[in-house]
Amino acid sequence: MTKLDLLRFPLIKTLLRSRWPQFLVRLLALAGFVLAVLAGLLGTPVGSRSFAIVFVWILCWALLMLAAVPLFGRGWCSVCPIPMPGEWAQQGALLGPLQTMTARWRLGRPWPRRLRGIWMQNAAFVLVALFSARVLTTPLVSALVLGAFLLVALVTSLIFERRAFCRYLCPVGGFIGLYSQLAPLELRVRNTAVCASHREKTCYNGSLEGPYAGYGCPWGAFPGGLVRNTSCGLCMECLRTCPHDNIALNLRLPGADLEQRRGRGLDEAYKGLIMLGSALAYSAVMLGPWGALKAAAFAVGSLPWLGYALGFLTLVLGVLPGLFLLAAAAGQRLAGRPLDRRSLKQAFAQNAVALVPLGLAAWAAFSLAFAASSLTYIPVALSDPFGWGWDLFGGAGVGWTPLMSGAVPPLQVIVLAGGILWAARSAVDVQGGRAALPVIGFCLLAGAGLLWLLVG
Amino acid sequence: MPARRAERTARLLAVLLVLGLPLGLLLARLISDRSSPVVEIHARMPHDGGFLPGEIQAVAGEPLRLRLVSDDVLHGFAVGQTDFPEIDLYPGQTVETTLVFDQPGRYTYVCTRWCGPDHWRMRGVIDVRPAAGETALPPAADPPLYLELGLDLDAPHPARVTPASRPAAVTGIELPGRYRSQDYLRAASPAQVWEALRSDPVTHGMDDEQVWGLVAGLWQESTTPQRLEQGRELYARSCAACHGETGTGDGVFASQHARDAERSDHAGAVEGHASPGGAVDGHAIEAPADFTDPENMLGAAPALLHGKIVRGGMGTGMPYWGTVFSDDQIWMLVEYLWTFQFDLEEGK
Amino acid sequence: MNLPLQSVSPERRRKFAGLVVLAIVALAVLALPLPLPSAPPADRHFHLQASSFAYQPAVLHVNRGDRVTIEIEAQDVVHGLYLDGYDLQVTAEPGRTAALSFTADRSGSFRFRCPVTCGPLHPFMIGQLKVGPNTLLWKGLALAALAALAGVWSLRR
Repeated sequence: MTKLDLLRFPLIKTLLRSRWPQFLVRLLALAGFVLAVLAGLLGTPVGSRSFAIVFVWILCWALLMLAAVPLFGRGWCSVCPIPMPGEWAQQGALLGPLQTMTARWRLGRPWPRRLRGIWMQNAAFVLVALFSARVLTTPLVSALVLGAFLLVALVTSLIFERRAFCRYLCPVGGFIGLYSQLAPLELRVRNTAVCASHREKTCYNGSLEGPYAGYGCPWGAFPGGLVRNTSCGLCMECLRTCPHDNIALNLRLPGADLEQRRGRGLDEAYKGLIMLGSALAYSAVMLGPWGALKAAAFAVGSLPWLGYALGFLTLVLGVLPGLFLLAAAAGQRLAGRPLDRRSLKQAFAQNAVALVPLGLAAWAAFSLAFAASSLTYIPVALSDPFGWGWDLFGGAGVGWTPLMSGAVPPLQVIVLAGGILWAARSAVDVQGGRAALPVIGFCLLAGAGLLWLLVG
Repeated sequence: MPARRAERTARLLAVLLVLGLPLGLLLARLISDRSSPVVEIHARMPHDGGFLPGEIQAVAGEPLRLRLVSDDVLHGFAVGQTDFPEIDLYPGQTVETTLVFDQPGRYTYVCTRWCGPDHWRMRGVIDVRPAAGETALPPAADPPLYLELGLDLDAPHPARVTPASRPAAVTGIELPGRYRSQDYLRAASPAQVWEALRSDPVTHGMDDEQVWGLVAGLWQESTTPQRLEQGRELYARSCAACHGETGTGDGVFASQHARDAERSDHAGAVEGHASPGGAVDGHAIEAPADFTDPENMLGAAPALLHGKIVRGGMGTGMPYWGTVFSDDQIWMLVEYLWTFQFDLEEGK
Repeated sequence: MNLPLQSVSPERRRKFAGLVVLAIVALAVLALPLPLPSAPPADRHFHLQASSFAYQPAVLHVNRGDRVTIEIEAQDVVHGLYLDGYDLQVTAEPGRTAALSFTADRSGSFRFRCPVTCGPLHPFMIGQLKVGPNTLLWKGLALAALAALAGVWSLRR
């Protein structure tokens, strides 16, 4: 295993251990978030000129899907502003545990056992997806949704311990966690034996002790036991609290987490299917030539919208999982493995590892299309965030021009092909040659559908 | 830095950035508005309000600072019967302009880019009061020609004779001077001029179609190719959406009007003709006039067409343009309308 | 500086070489033109009705080399057409049908979009111009199949 521990570089270690750089970046992000909400509430109702739409759904989304997640995994989560006000309220401090930690108005309950896993995040994502034609185009609706995120995160932090919103509720976090398995970055411990002999486990419990003062893992993970990226938010709290310098931030080969069999549940499998189905649906609605479909998706509350919503739900919760189940069962059959309920469930969950690279490739390919055609909105929105005629950075006069419109389709083909290659590889890696074939067939089918929608 | 001091600094920064930044931006806008008053006009599709506000006050001689923005689709802004340049309002793009009115009076501002079937209803009024100390009222405008002539705009005007084929303008024939006078040509319909020419000895020996050619020639000489070009531009921008690019009354919004006519209770409405007194609720809307119909057009005097454009209000969806176009603009438009009947030489 | 980096094994090197070969083959599949028969160029006229937020018809088929004229008739507000890949644009207002004329010298599937903000769903007002057989789609499908095979083969023991 070839890994490079970035924390061996003193500069990186200092920057990450110190609370200030992260705090300042998060603060800037929060200011941007507040500006987006205000722009949606008070600014122009024209989506393409509103900071609320352009900054969040074009700039941040494109950066997320094309750079942040593939390269840094949950790196966005480490600078995300949404849980910040909640964290301040919960911790009673902005910058780090003060000597007196009181829990006056915070309940600090543990997250209910039955709601663990990413099922709630799956539901939240599907819910937002049903209204996405509105959310992504209407500044007011966008502002209300973003404001709702902030409010829910705040309330969750007052009732539950740690970053429960991030771990169990955030719809964005659901897929960031899933796809973070592909990133070339990971946080692990250097030596598990050191953790075994450390009684206090300050990385999980927190500490008020001088140079190692810090909170117990806000994500509720035990760093010593981390083998995948999915539940580590890269917040660096454990780096600050570990008294034995046992935390490593490794550069590694992409997708190393896919080889892990542990912790793969049905919730993640469904997430993979939901993301794949959403990529197909979004490609059809937003990039397709079918006006009736777009109108139905937009007219929230009407009968056509109801039809669209039912169709969407049937696709992501019925058709795709059904086909995938068939593929998993066929694979079991081919490999001569049992077909009882428990084995099928396991096969379903394990095979879903192929959906991780395929899904990210699908979303990257989709994002390329709308990013390229909407990029020129960004200088305008930055210079005139409210659509009030300002020109803060001189970019307000930039006209709309789709960029690289000829180069995008071949790029999409390459990205999707890469995703299929990786998916096939992971499926074989996890299940073995024969058993993986039907699932690879499923991935090819989905890939063909995406190709037809994006490039056909 | 000791923990408490760091915490205080962090809290200060948080307040500054998260609260201060947006508040600062909003304050900046309030202050700049306070320092020099500006009237903000939002342009929306007519069913969402049109121009908001729809009425503005100003003082003659004093600058009126306007901030214009469209909230949905492409609109435009122009003030009728003035020289102020037209402004395109792209959605979300705020434009500032300053207008100075020399003369007091009521000015109409209009939307200049089609923003829906009711686009022509999207108008507002600027009420310009006389400057302090002055009470002089602007000189009253001359009444439109149809009033002077006593023409009934709402009466049907079928032509008694029509040409067998579309006449091409014939010029260069010697005709008595009275046929060329502007007063005569504006007050008489082409059919009337044809009848006058037919019974005039100067056309002895010509057949009926040749006389129509003379009529077309008179119409050609009462205008210039440049005026026809300007009329064409006015037509394309303001009229074609209802009356059709080929003048046949089948513009993109014509079917809307015809649909309204089917639904209306005034079953007596005849296509192309007015339904006098039938508009109880003002919605007896019919299909727009067909300018290629010779019977209808050739029986209309230019002054009649001029009057219909000025006044509108025939109980159809035809708007009034009297406060929006200058008199000369309307004449150019009328001159252009004859190109649907005659082959006239137009400028390029 | 001592980096805890292990040396790259020969098996890894072989795998890397395989990946390079794969990349070259993939690029070849993508880049090489397909020798497909083409019909003689013809004149084609299309009359599109543009309303918020769709074109009618929304999908146009032509052959490569055809001289294409697209007329756009705006039905409610100011619309227009921007053609991806060809980088051509025209604006159409109700009452002023606009026309775009060009030679379809590039084959493939090209989206055309509305270039003038015409309401909330404006960024998604999209149609498609299909010129000749969509070679990129076929190549993409072939590449996808190749990728699946490569994925399976790369883990051969």
